[in-house]
Amino acid sequence: MIDSNPIGTTKGPGQSPHEFTFVSPDPEQTLRTGEYVAYEAHVDGQDRRILARVTERYPLRLFPDSFMANPAIAPDFIANMVGYDYETGASDYELFQLTATILGYYDNTLEDFINPRIPPRTGWPVYLAGVDELKSVLSTKKPGDVGSAHIGSLLSRERDAVPVAVDVQAFASTHLAIIASTGAGKSYLAGVLLEELLKPYNRAAVLIVDPHGEYSTLAEMANLNEFTLATYRARTRVYQPGEVKVRRGALTMGDLRYLLPNLTERMEYVLRRAHRDVQRRAAADKRDPERWTLAELMIRLREIGEGGDDGEDGDSHYKETAEAIIWRLESVLNQSVIFDDFEHLKLDELFRPGQCSVLQLNEVDERQQQVMVATLLRRLFRARMATQKHETDRGDELYLPYPVFVLIEEAHHFAPAGGDAVSTGILKQILGEGRKFGVGVGLISQRPGKLDADVLSQCNTQFLLRIVNPVDQARVAESVETVGRDLLRELPALTKGQVIIAGQAVNTPILCRVRTRHTTHGAESINAPQEWVNYTSDEAEQRRARDMALPANVVERGSLEDFLE
Amino acid sequence: MLLGKIVRSSSHIDYVCQVYSPGEVEQPPVPADYGFGTFVRIALETQPQSWLVGLVYDTVLLNPDFGNLGPRLSPQAELAVFSPDYLQEKATLIGITALGTLTETGQSTQGVPALAALTDAPVEKMTDNQVKTFHQGNLSVRLAYMPLLMSQGSPLTLHLLRDIISRLQQFFPEQSASLAVLQRELIWQSQVAPFGGRS
Repeated sequence: MIDSNPIGTTKGPGQSPHEFTFVSPDPEQTLRTGEYVAYEAHVDGQDRRILARVTERYPLRLFPDSFMANPAIAPDFIANMVGYDYETGASDYELFQLTATILGYYDNTLEDFINPRIPPRTGWPVYLAGVDELKSVLSTKKPGDVGSAHIGSLLSRERDAVPVAVDVQAFASTHLAIIASTGAGKSYLAGVLLEELLKPYNRAAVLIVDPHGEYSTLAEMANLNEFTLATYRARTRVYQPGEVKVRRGALTMGDLRYLLPNLTERMEYVLRRAHRDVQRRAAADKRDPERWTLAELMIRLREIGEGGDDGEDGDSHYKETAEAIIWRLESVLNQSVIFDDFEHLKLDELFRPGQCSVLQLNEVDERQQQVMVATLLRRLFRARMATQKHETDRGDELYLPYPVFVLIEEAHHFAPAGGDAVSTGILKQILGEGRKFGVGVGLISQRPGKLDADVLSQCNTQFLLRIVNPVDQARVAESVETVGRDLLRELPALTKGQVIIAGQAVNTPILCRVRTRHTTHGAESINAPQEWVNYTSDEAEQRRARDMALPANVVERGSLEDFLE
Repeated sequence: MLLGKIVRSSSHIDYVCQVYSPGEVEQPPVPADYGFGTFVRIALETQPQSWLVGLVYDTVLLNPDFGNLGPRLSPQAELAVFSPDYLQEKATLIGITALGTLTETGQSTQGVPALAALTDAPVEKMTDNQVKTFHQGNLSVRLAYMPLLMSQGSPLTLHLLRDIISRLQQFFPEQSASLAVLQRELIWQSQVAPFGGRS
């Protein structure tokens, strides 16, 4: 429905060619920042409705400061006294100047906004954009369409009045980033996104790397009607720490170097030789070069340490070095729950359409987490590449005949700015080339300032929640081109559950209110004061005393005096 | 109490009244009756009867003898006998600015009045009750003429308004706090702002 009553009148051009200002009394206080308005103009031989977004609002009429001298007396009362006749408190004296950024008219063929490249003339009526108009133009997808993800509703309108659905195809191929300060609701939003991916109209093959164990509640999806249609039922598999193994043979020299930090040049040389040799031996035995075992590597290291068996060096001056590496390998690779000589979780188990795999990495050392994600992503990318190029077939380990989406929590651990994390390289490769092979990545981070700038800038759909830290805001401004300055200014003022969605998955940046999750949110903070009170309550004290009490038939030990007697 | 009559005007709201001198009326006014800030009413020729409400904002003394420093033939005491016209030429003029209108039934409007007074229209001093009625608004004391007065930019205006508000505080004690907000601003503007104080 298009509202035929104008809400304001155009005044003049704004600071840039695609901005204009308009004046409105706005008695209902509807023209908030982020609201959409429209005007009609004759463009390219047709009457078009040009949509614009309100970016700034300031009052044109302000009471003199002196009218506010007594806090107990309202300034409008004083204004009334000196002859400004209106009903006290009615606010009908107000007048606002609003700045709006022109989005353009929506072209159904191009599925995008076309900017008319000329601001409206002065004196033209401005209308509030209609609900149906917004529903049809803000994003290309409608809630419930195949490839849509219903995130919530437009923030400037009443709850659920204008639903916001983003294009899954866009972010599954050109990646997404969820950026927010702690407590702004990023895990909640990620939960909503995962729910949408698992709805019957998407049935995605999705994995979430969950370093804090917050996503296990997604398992509730299996019992909810929203995730069931005919024979389809969304599945969630939660992999506990230690349940997912990385085969040691899949570790590259880079991974080993990363797992064993501060290797001397000598140590690195010896390790590189041993690593190369075990791979060659495996290949010579007609095995996969990635199927060497830790024992083989250690044996080879010992051989090198003892003077070599291949006549390359023929001396034993690497003995201590080899021993040192063996000792470190033993402590890192042998005693960790995530590495194994033979077991390797199959990709087609981890990724399956209609399945959300939650890879819990809590209790795993950070470096091992990074190596685990790096090896997993490497295998995944190789598998998708090989499958797309028809180099593998059903039954092969690297056969994965469907696109996948990987969501990575605490992404700044896996691609830190200026850091040397072993996972950064493969992440960059997937962000750059994943589109061709159907590997989509979603990065979630609360510290964009600590996230590699290249990595962030390659996520072409952004979900930005409240960001207060100025360093983080600057990083977002630098890496996210699609969000205008006006929306970036909103970042510190967003409240929990409010998100700016921008980039390829939507037609224009949208201020959105995140919808309610179907499943329980798993990342609630512990209510410490309540737990302390509960612990010290009389009932709890009595229960503990009862539990600690000795059984009645136990003979009490005698006192020291008894013993001496 | 009759004060005088309108003798000229310089605009639709700015009038000059010549104060009655002794002999013209039974009880000629004394200076205290037409002091600075006195509310006056000027009769309009309307049916039913209505008045312009005005405010004395200026006083000018006319004296044709001013500057005539030479000796006169008639001593001062004999002027009444030999040259009574001369005495008549001395006069007191008061400047009145019109602030609104008042009807017989007590209805008042504030702001620029629609009708102008005629020459020789009688000017009367308003009673306290009439002043109170003129300022009685629906919700509060009404001072809708205040912006008009302030916009005239006369250095006397601020003092005039301070004087009015002081009197209104006595008439409307329950509105004293609201009036004080305006009063404080006027005091600041008249006493501190000229020294460079900001507001």
